Amino acid sequence: MSDQPDDRELEEEIRRAAARLDPVPPELTAAAVDAFAFRDLDAELAELAFDSLLDADPATLVRGSAGPRLVSFTAGELSIDIEVAGAGPDRQLMGQIMPPGPVRVEFRRRDGATTSTEADELGRFSAASLRPGPLSLRVSGAAGQPRPAVVTDWLSI
Amino acid sequence: MSGGERPVPDEDTAPQDAPTQDAPTQDTRAQDVAALVTAAAAGDKAAWQGLVERFGGMVWSITRGYRLSRADAADVSQTVWLRLAENIGKINNPERVGAWLATAARRECLQNIRVNTRTVPTGDMAVFDDAGPDLNPTEGEVLRAEGERESAHRARVLWRTLGRLPERCQQLLRLLMASPPPSYAEVAAALDLPVGSIGPTRARCLQRLRAELDAVSGTA
Repeated sequence: MSDQPDDRELEEEIRRAAARLDPVPPELTAAAVDAFAFRDLDAELAELAFDSLLDADPATLVRGSAGPRLVSFTAGELSIDIEVAGAGPDRQLMGQIMPPGPVRVEFRRRDGATTSTEADELGRFSAASLRPGPLSLRVSGAAGQPRPAVVTDWLSI
Repeated sequence: MSGGERPVPDEDTAPQDAPTQDAPTQDTRAQDVAALVTAAAAGDKAAWQGLVERFGGMVWSITRGYRLSRADAADVSQTVWLRLAENIGKINNPERVGAWLATAARRECLQNIRVNTRTVPTGDMAVFDDAGPDLNPTEGEVLRAEGERESAHRARVLWRTLGRLPERCQQLLRLLMASPPPSYAEVAAALDLPVGSIGPTRARCLQRLRAELDAVSGTA
């Protein structure tokens, strides 16, 4: 099937219409450029190993199941498991690192903003109220107990 | 999606671009893109900016094609770019980073839709909203300029006509109208379609659009 000049012209015309009527919001472009600064060059990247949303049975979704989203990241021997629940303006998160240990957990958000918490001796931690949006966890040693830092791959909660 | 699938985009499985595209231009563009990725991985901020300029429109178009609200589209877009930043040193095929981004954007969009499906009724987000209430300030200025009035009107007619096409056409055309335009490989990754189907589907959809536009002008 040949690429007709008329087709190219029409496509160009709708491209111009899109640029006029639904352009990329400038703040999105600026934020995307800023994202470069939030790379954590000192930490190992823990990749996504499991996300219940990806493996969800479509029938479950149709029934409107409100079960929490289960996500798991791994970096070598370390795994970081989280449960994310909630809707609307608020998410609740519970997590655990394995093997357990006293660690500091930072919640990295879209503008480089972070909040942090300490895991208990079983490696458990939580956050009561997180806004939706990009999230990455940074796990490092608690005070006096240094260990190599690990950051999870970004996901959108 | 298959169970247990790791959601790391595998650009190695993306087939070659459709032969209808201008091959030398594609090769040059691919080399340029690979150079940007390599430089960004080495810490070059200007190269990163080049990637955002090259693919930002595509990522936005993908979110709009999946009918995400502006707020959700912003979340998905930012998540995708943050992921690329974190993974920039690990991209296996730098020249295919566009397909990497398209796949990542598609997966984030689907997850976003699933989160919303589970908790709240899906809103009726149209791919081609009536651009009236969403008029951006620039468009307002443009409308007031005498010489632009007609082209602004035509753009709106075009937009509304696009909104009457079949769903699949709306989504495909919304992607193709990204600035700069995506490659067929990137479109295929974004929509999870065989790359060979993109060209023929595009032609059919544009033909459909042309027929609708003729019908509209016929009654004017």
